[in-house]
Amino acid sequence: MKKFSIFSILISFTLNSFAQEALPIKGDEIFGSMRARHIGPALMSGRVVDLEGHPTDNKILYAGAAGGGVWKTADGGVTFNPIFDKHNQSIGAIKVDPKNPDQIIWVGTGEIWTRNSVTIGDGIYKTTDGGQNWNHMGLPKSERISSIKINPNNTDEVFVGVLGGLWSDSEDRGVYKTSDGGKTWNKIFYINASTGCSDLVMDPNDANIMYASFWQFRRTAYSFDSGGENSGLYKTTDGGKTWNKIHNGFPNGKLGRIAIALAPSNSKILYSVIESEKDEDKGLYRSDDAGANWTRTNGDFGLVVRPFYFSRIVVDPKNPDIVLKAGLNGSLSRDGGKTFKNIGGGIHADVHDFWFDLHDSNRIYLCDDGGVYRSYDGGSIWDMVKGIPVSQFYQVAIDNQTPYKVYGGLQDNGSWVGPSSKPGGIENRDWISVGAGDGFRTFPHPKDPNIVYSEMQGAENIWRINLEKNSAKTIKPFPEANDPKFRFNWNTPITTSPHNADRLYCGSQFLHKSDDRGETWVKISPDLTTNDPAKQQQENSGGLSMDNSGAENHCTIFAVNESPLDQNIIWVGTDDGNVQVTFDGGKNWNNVTANVPDLPKNTWCYFIEPSSFDKNTAYAVFTGYTSGDFKPYVYKTTDGGKTWKPIVSDDIKSFVRNIKEDYKNPNLLFLGTEGGLYVTIDGGQNWSPFKNNMPPVAVHWIALHPTEDALVMATHGRGVIIVDDISPLRQLTKEIIAKDLHFFTTKPTKMAESGSFGGYARMGEFVGENPSRQANIVYYLKSRHTFGKMSMEVFDKDNQKIADLPPGKSKGINYVDWNYSLKPPKVAKGKTIVSGGFQGPTVLPGTYKVKITKGNKTYENDLVLVADPKSIHTKEDRILQHETAMKLFAMNEELGYLVEQIDNHQTQLNAILPSLTSSKLKKQIPLAEISKNLETLKESLVVLKGDNYVGAAEPQLREKISGLFSEILGYTGRPTNAQLSSLKVLDEKLGEAKVKMEGLKSQISKLTPAMAKAKLPEIKPNRSFEEYKAAEN
Amino acid sequence: MKQKLRLLFAAALTLAATYSQAQTADEIVEKYLETIGGKEKLATIKSIKMIAKGQQGGMEFPMTSIMEAPNKMVQSINFQGKEIVVSAFDGKEMWKTNFMTMKPEKGETEDSQNAAKSADFPDPFLDYKAKGYSIALEGEEKVEGTDCYKIKLTKKPVMVDGKEEEDFSYYYFDKENNVVIMQKQTGKKGQMKDLTVETLMSDYQEVDGIYFAYNISQKMNGQVMFSMTIDKIELNAPVDAKVFAYPVD
Repeated sequence: MKKFSIFSILISFTLNSFAQEALPIKGDEIFGSMRARHIGPALMSGRVVDLEGHPTDNKILYAGAAGGGVWKTADGGVTFNPIFDKHNQSIGAIKVDPKNPDQIIWVGTGEIWTRNSVTIGDGIYKTTDGGQNWNHMGLPKSERISSIKINPNNTDEVFVGVLGGLWSDSEDRGVYKTSDGGKTWNKIFYINASTGCSDLVMDPNDANIMYASFWQFRRTAYSFDSGGENSGLYKTTDGGKTWNKIHNGFPNGKLGRIAIALAPSNSKILYSVIESEKDEDKGLYRSDDAGANWTRTNGDFGLVVRPFYFSRIVVDPKNPDIVLKAGLNGSLSRDGGKTFKNIGGGIHADVHDFWFDLHDSNRIYLCDDGGVYRSYDGGSIWDMVKGIPVSQFYQVAIDNQTPYKVYGGLQDNGSWVGPSSKPGGIENRDWISVGAGDGFRTFPHPKDPNIVYSEMQGAENIWRINLEKNSAKTIKPFPEANDPKFRFNWNTPITTSPHNADRLYCGSQFLHKSDDRGETWVKISPDLTTNDPAKQQQENSGGLSMDNSGAENHCTIFAVNESPLDQNIIWVGTDDGNVQVTFDGGKNWNNVTANVPDLPKNTWCYFIEPSSFDKNTAYAVFTGYTSGDFKPYVYKTTDGGKTWKPIVSDDIKSFVRNIKEDYKNPNLLFLGTEGGLYVTIDGGQNWSPFKNNMPPVAVHWIALHPTEDALVMATHGRGVIIVDDISPLRQLTKEIIAKDLHFFTTKPTKMAESGSFGGYARMGEFVGENPSRQANIVYYLKSRHTFGKMSMEVFDKDNQKIADLPPGKSKGINYVDWNYSLKPPKVAKGKTIVSGGFQGPTVLPGTYKVKITKGNKTYENDLVLVADPKSIHTKEDRILQHETAMKLFAMNEELGYLVEQIDNHQTQLNAILPSLTSSKLKKQIPLAEISKNLETLKESLVVLKGDNYVGAAEPQLREKISGLFSEILGYTGRPTNAQLSSLKVLDEKLGEAKVKMEGLKSQISKLTPAMAKAKLPEIKPNRSFEEYKAAEN
Repeated sequence: MKQKLRLLFAAALTLAATYSQAQTADEIVEKYLETIGGKEKLATIKSIKMIAKGQQGGMEFPMTSIMEAPNKMVQSINFQGKEIVVSAFDGKEMWKTNFMTMKPEKGETEDSQNAAKSADFPDPFLDYKAKGYSIALEGEEKVEGTDCYKIKLTKKPVMVDGKEEEDFSYYYFDKENNVVIMQKQTGKKGQMKDLTVETLMSDYQEVDGIYFAYNISQKMNGQVMFSMTIDKIELNAPVDAKVFAYPVD
């Protein structure tokens, strides 16, 4: 015995010492079944950059989003599902293997339409199981893959065009080839570090013939340069060994981005759109001799507009003269490129790609800055796909309404307000437009639910919107007499104040403040930027095609936040790398940039989060991607900016845009990175990517609900994503992680009340997921439960078991939902099914006990249900509803028991009846008559014919009781007087039926002596009501 | 004391070393079959009857599932005292109860033909080669926070809307315990097309020397859609062939 105990101490000691050292507090092992939900929206969708079909099955089409992954339809474009959710969400090119189209698909990451807000890819992927699993196949530093071509005769031979880095030189550009299905790659063609392969085309009749366009281009934070000596169009006829320029007929001088396409029905015919020095040279060129000679055929606006954004030509697979060109509106030619018409009835602007149906060229798909569209009439009228939620939010804000609303602005898709939950799910039509153009920061007035602030690019407009009155007033600040021109960022910072509800801040190079909702503005700072004149030459930006949209505005304020603890402390971050802080409401400013260690000069200060625990504490994130620096920069100061400490770890794989400090636990921080959400529970020593229903999409902004504890993310590619309750993360400690099972403290559950109607979306429309309306039971499991029994039960205050729930068994945090309802009543058996047998009464507010039994151990925790404080029902109403429901519950079961007794007696009587042969016996023992009376009674109690649909029979007592029961359950307040009197009527009828049954039973029992004499079997009594209720059947 | 401690550490290290050795798909499957009871034992199973409780969307209902070699099966639920067949296959035809009329209706011909090809009973991995199945180790992944081997099981092709398609799914073998804790399958047809269902297995318990998962939960996008807890499993109980057959009035 003694030995045993020493041994067990030893074991537990060893295990504990192991556990202490090896405590994994990272990733899945923390988050368990904590998951995100997506609310879209998809009504405006988002930028989709590439379309690719299946070579033989016209029901299948793939769409690659700029920041939202790969989507597949298998039904000709009605519904789309995401198939690339574990990987980089920025897509450059998709290609389906021509020999194994159901199995092998390639995805090259990194969007190639190089606008200012474009993100980066991380290489090439391949699936061999139709998209269920993807393997990374290399080219990790390619940044942007423009094209993938597969040799149809040997599909292990794949050619990839790498456009490469946008913000820096890169030697990873060029054309790559693999001969072993992607295991190894060779760079077979390279121009230089600033010129990448923007398009690659393969002759479908001869895989040795390929055309590659090369583009010299560069973006900085403040300029864009398209074109140079090195742009060009090349051809190989030997499978990529040698490449020759094919410029015969092309304009002289520098060239910019060149689009290239080949007519699939005649591979001698090529089209190319050329960006060149002179306007009269720009436009569409055609070759009828496989590139040997070129003739310019058209220079319309639609052909030459913004080459960096629209260099894509698609030729009809059957007719070489039908040509589609991407563009602001999209253009179509039916005469081989001589003349064009605008397509675009019903589409969003900024078209990026097309796909012709294999069998019918009148059926065309298109993608643009607003999703995917279908045309059935050759491109005149377009119908939008309403089920691809790839909206690109720049920011998100929430309010304090119930349910809270979500506010945010989108790339090229305005600004919106939508609900965080809605009966039936959050549909596209639930979103309200509150801004035009590109939308960015959108904030609710902190106190007035009718007021919203929004803006469009470069503060061309800042609006104050009155939702109730449906009015929008422009309220942007203007320079006063002695002011220089204001410089506003493309994504201009505006924000509200935690201290003064009518206050609004706006940043140009100066910080502007208004205390009257934007009517009057006061400049409360000097120029807080570096004001570097070299970075303010935007009118010269664009290269060969001028492109001064405001997107390159620089030396501007980007981040502004007032401390929640002191309204005189305001933090400002600028896009040229300054961090500035004032402690006196703007009278004096401290430039604390130099105090930030190990930060390259002029690195964009993207966000500053003042702490809500200590006014000298703040977090700042920086991003260097606009100079090709993709490292994460996250810092914390605890002395008002005098010193900064980095709080990054190697866990973070991409650059950072936003940080959110928890309101209750200062060690719990949330990080918005270009590759998804990261969480630390130890103040930044370790970071874990959150992956549960959360793709590695760029997270541009994070809001945290102060009372609901919901983490709301603005993703730039997958709409708004919410993690509903992060409160368990606050409670995690090393001690808890060491326990076998630990119940977290949860807030009392506000019981959901019956809603109205909702849910009218049709097939193909996206519907955002609602939060759970149920009570959450949340616990941590040290290891997954795999062997032996594990169960979860709920008990009421009298220790009566009222529910069995399937427990979660994951290592880490588990969430189990309870609908706080009793089990449904046991209803009478009939021919049909009744609704009352599907649901049980909701329990009353109170404290309940949850018990988990795992092996031979039990764990208990209280669960508190409270009435919604905003309830429209009184406590008395709620009790009356509950009592009425319980009364009907009992009636359902009493009736069920009554019918069982009838059936039981009938079975026995029917067995005896044939024995009653003589007429004397029949008279003496009138069982036939009793049986008939039982049958008549039963017919008045339950429906015995018909079906569950339109063959339904006239309802009887069971159907009436059940119907009323369902009605009462369906409304969480006072039953109507009509319902209450109906209950009385039904109860009386039930009473009468019971009396009738008792009468028949006593008739039978009076016959017992006679039956015994006639040697007939005795009629056995039914099981008891209690036994009936307890039995499963 | 110190000595003992060191010994324990050494034992733990050896154990860790054994686990960290690379394993082939066949080794993993062999170990799994051994863990759940051994091939010989499994081969003796001719029929399985399960009595269970199903839970879906806050509702609870008794379920019965009967399977018989080689591929017959019937799964029914009891609802308001009515027996409703959710899915049945008599070796030739699939059928189930229509919820509106409570009458049996037959499944699509190609589904029946696909079911006739199935050789999953009693375990798809038992003699998988002889069945014409193949397996491949596709790496390691965490499932519910637990390290697993991921094995792709490819069965004989099936017909989907008139077209022959590969039939495969992924099984996740708990590295420490050698049992399957998840199967992942993507729908091929109808509204489930391209949607992935994760079937999680837990509560393994022994019946006549063979381990069965007594709880099976299905998740989509991380949300539990359905959970089944088994009360009782009977092996090789006599089964009336009628239970599988399409009922004729």
